[in-house]
Amino acid sequence: MTLTVLWLLPLIGGLLIAFMPPHLAKYMAVLVALGSLAIAGFVALEFEPDFHKYQFTEVLPWIPPLHIYYRLGVDGISLWLVVLNALLTLIAVLATPVSMKGASRFLGLMLAMSAGMAGVLMATDLVLFYVFWEAMLIPAYFLLWLFGEGDRPGRAALKFVLYTLVGSLLMLVGVIGEYVFTGQQTFDLAKLSTIAPSASIQFGLFFVFALAFAIKTPLFPFHAWLPDAYAAAPTPMLVTFAGMMGKTGAYGFLRIAIPLFPDPSWLWDWRWVVPVLAVLGIVWGALMAIAQRDMKMLVAYSSVSHMGFIVLGIFSLNVQGQQGAILQMVNHGVIIPALFLIVAWIYDRTGTRDRSAIAGLAPRMPILAGVFLLVTLAALGLPGLNSFVGEFMTLLGAWQLAPWLAVIGGIGLVLAPVYMLRLYQGAMYAPEPYPRRVDDIYAGQLTLLAPLVVLMFALGLAPGVLTSLMTSVAQSGLAK
Amino acid sequence: MITLHFDEPLKNPDVLNYTWTQALADLGQISPIAALTGFMLLAIVADMSLAKGRRGGVVAMIAVTGFAYSMATAAYRWLYASNGPAYHGYATGDSFALFFEVLFAILGILTVAISHPYLRTRGLREGEFHVLIMAAVIGMMVLGAATSLVTVFLGLELFSIALYIACGFVRADSRSQESAAKYLLVGGFASAFVLYGMALVYGASGTTLIPEIAKRIASSSAGDPLLILGILLMGVGFAFKVSAAPFHMWTPDVYQGAPIPVTAFMSVGTKAAAFAMIVRVFAEGLPHLGPEWQLLLAFVAATSMIVGNLLAIAQSSLKRLLAYSGIAQAGYILIGVIAGGKQGLAAVLFYLFIYLFMNFGAFAVVTLMTSPEGDRDSFSDLEGLARRSWPMAVLMSVFMLSLAGFPPFVGFFGKLFLFTAGVNAGYTWLVVLAVLMSAVSVYYYVRVLVPVWSPVAEPESLRPSISNWLAIGLSGAASLGLGIYPTWLLLAGQLGAGPITGQ
Repeated sequence: MTLTVLWLLPLIGGLLIAFMPPHLAKYMAVLVALGSLAIAGFVALEFEPDFHKYQFTEVLPWIPPLHIYYRLGVDGISLWLVVLNALLTLIAVLATPVSMKGASRFLGLMLAMSAGMAGVLMATDLVLFYVFWEAMLIPAYFLLWLFGEGDRPGRAALKFVLYTLVGSLLMLVGVIGEYVFTGQQTFDLAKLSTIAPSASIQFGLFFVFALAFAIKTPLFPFHAWLPDAYAAAPTPMLVTFAGMMGKTGAYGFLRIAIPLFPDPSWLWDWRWVVPVLAVLGIVWGALMAIAQRDMKMLVAYSSVSHMGFIVLGIFSLNVQGQQGAILQMVNHGVIIPALFLIVAWIYDRTGTRDRSAIAGLAPRMPILAGVFLLVTLAALGLPGLNSFVGEFMTLLGAWQLAPWLAVIGGIGLVLAPVYMLRLYQGAMYAPEPYPRRVDDIYAGQLTLLAPLVVLMFALGLAPGVLTSLMTSVAQSGLAK
Repeated sequence: MITLHFDEPLKNPDVLNYTWTQALADLGQISPIAALTGFMLLAIVADMSLAKGRRGGVVAMIAVTGFAYSMATAAYRWLYASNGPAYHGYATGDSFALFFEVLFAILGILTVAISHPYLRTRGLREGEFHVLIMAAVIGMMVLGAATSLVTVFLGLELFSIALYIACGFVRADSRSQESAAKYLLVGGFASAFVLYGMALVYGASGTTLIPEIAKRIASSSAGDPLLILGILLMGVGFAFKVSAAPFHMWTPDVYQGAPIPVTAFMSVGTKAAAFAMIVRVFAEGLPHLGPEWQLLLAFVAATSMIVGNLLAIAQSSLKRLLAYSGIAQAGYILIGVIAGGKQGLAAVLFYLFIYLFMNFGAFAVVTLMTSPEGDRDSFSDLEGLARRSWPMAVLMSVFMLSLAGFPPFVGFFGKLFLFTAGVNAGYTWLVVLAVLMSAVSVYYYVRVLVPVWSPVAEPESLRPSISNWLAIGLSGAASLGLGIYPTWLLLAGQLGAGPITGQ
């Protein structure tokens, strides 16, 4: 029941909250998000670290004629993302201004989207996974379209949905294919990973699954929806949209594409194609980030680059790489929302997101400058902060697969300081302080960032807490 | 050489010894149809005898009662009665027939519910309209219950003729007249094709009884040109009726011209009835010639999905958009027919049942826009629906998302079952095509939501009547509820497919 509540609570709460007056809606939304986080925390505390199969499992017959069951469970891969999802949802809800037009509907949709993502992370039945995977598109579409920024948010929303759908509808063929071609007529993920079909069928099925996950992640060159969608997304939405939604794609690789298709080789081996795209994404995202003047877009492209590390780690197919990938998923989910929030606050105060138009903000807003520095350093992978550990481990894993992959991926590490420090220095420091008086961030805003900053230090200084819990899982994911 | 057999049923001694007990038992098998026919006659009498002001409401009440009674009878027989052939095998009351009887009865209730306020708004005569709908529903039910080519044709003509009239119901509107004329001509052609094909199959098999045909035509007669031609001609006629490409041209024009409740009724009813016919004739009657008609239908399915989905994108009228979407949906459903077997046919029945709610619901929301001057079904007419009535906007979104195949709405599960059956039967290419075309379809379904949710400065008020609320609310509840728990309906579909697959 615990896991069911974890997605049902935000869903039902969201549906009700959508019809409340704004102030009550926000109050209730915070309560619901806090409740979810508390339950997620309870699951994490009760989690048995040495037990590598699914925990907190729930099984109910759903559509027995087709062997579809309602199966939920968490393991060392999904647990951290479930907790992160709950945390980011809380931050997103807190960051939503009550004065926003249609705030109640926004909060309701946010909670519904969070419920969908929680469901994706907890489903252990392929059809159930697919249902959550598709269902979370609905609130995401309405959020982007009805609350989006820019001239044509509807267009960005539609682009996002259509891109994702092409992938995920093909994945539906894969889901059915798994059911039919394994010959066992089951959608149970735990069972499916032990009955892989022949290599050529794996080749085809891997393609459709990987395409869906690659578009969602997004993996280079399937990222074309991302700039538009991130540009249109309102900031509170970006906290979970950028922080979690993309991670569901990476999670799909780790949960489905790798264990279900251990040998997807026919004309070539897919397991070599994906890491190559990943390192290309690392470099491409970094180069595009360097080229951006809009700060929001800069962060968006840096996200593409970071997601490349995650996928690279996953497909290094060894313990270090996959541990690193999971760690990096959490890291990315901590850093990117913080960056988007900071950029949005700067925009609120200066009225521009063009990084060449702002300079010398640090004397005007010293607290923000300090926090921003921390986040920047975390994002560029400074040792001692969280991102370093994850990126290092993924590269270590990649090195074991093929040194040249790690070398090219390493270029991303070199480029990250270029765009991040340029952004920070350019905006914060100048010979003259910023011409207008601007307020520093409020205490409430600082409180929002506080848990993320604490996590940056905690994960950076003691990553072992997390990895010790994940080690065995990544291994079991490999060895089945 | 062709040899003709005229050995039954006239030479059948049973015909001479037709007893009252047998007659009652036979009537029992078709009691949902018989009951509805009785109610229709009652409605005609009421329409003729009552005062002008009261007629409409009373006839509507009789119609709804008739449909409800018919549905209750079918449901009762499904649960408790022993069901089997009647009238020397010309009709049947098996679970397949009962499934469709329930479906058409619900369709009838929904149609009356939305047409009552519609006809009031437009100032049209109500009594005749409901009687026509009842006649059409009876024809459709006959199709579901038909186990002879003769009965199939009877049902086909019964519902078609009623609909020809219904399409042209707005006598003052030239578009409605055009719709009726087109439908009459094309429908006449289709009937002729079907009839010719049936004649050839009869010639080859010597019987019109469908189970009998299945026994007599073995796979060895696959090369028989008579049969091939018969299948081809019937297939063309059926494709006309389900509005599958390349025989779909009439659909958008007829849908656009007909009054919206008729369009809504047709879009669901003719499709379901024609699929009942296809399943009866092809899957039950010609199982040994599977490869032949499956190839034909696979071609039709593929073209329908491509043509329907691509042409729907360019439409600016909701009726036409839903017409093209219906063409595409016919393609998806055909996958289930082609796949066949218990799984495939159950998926077909499941999809037809849910299509009733999704598609009818969408049309029902469009019906609300009607003004006394005429139907209003352009995208701009939907503008600001969310401001005018937010529950309607939510429901319209549910219908569109369900048609597009988004979980947790039921459309997704319908597709899941159809596609699973398709892949299981080895038609992976068709399923891949269907899936890609579904992605295309999302574009135009979601496009409908843009005016629905866009803000307008001064929204007109929208006051749906209680019957509209009930019809649309029920459709919406079914579109969501059957998605959350589709199992019972799927099991019902499996039971319904039982008589066809012989399980």
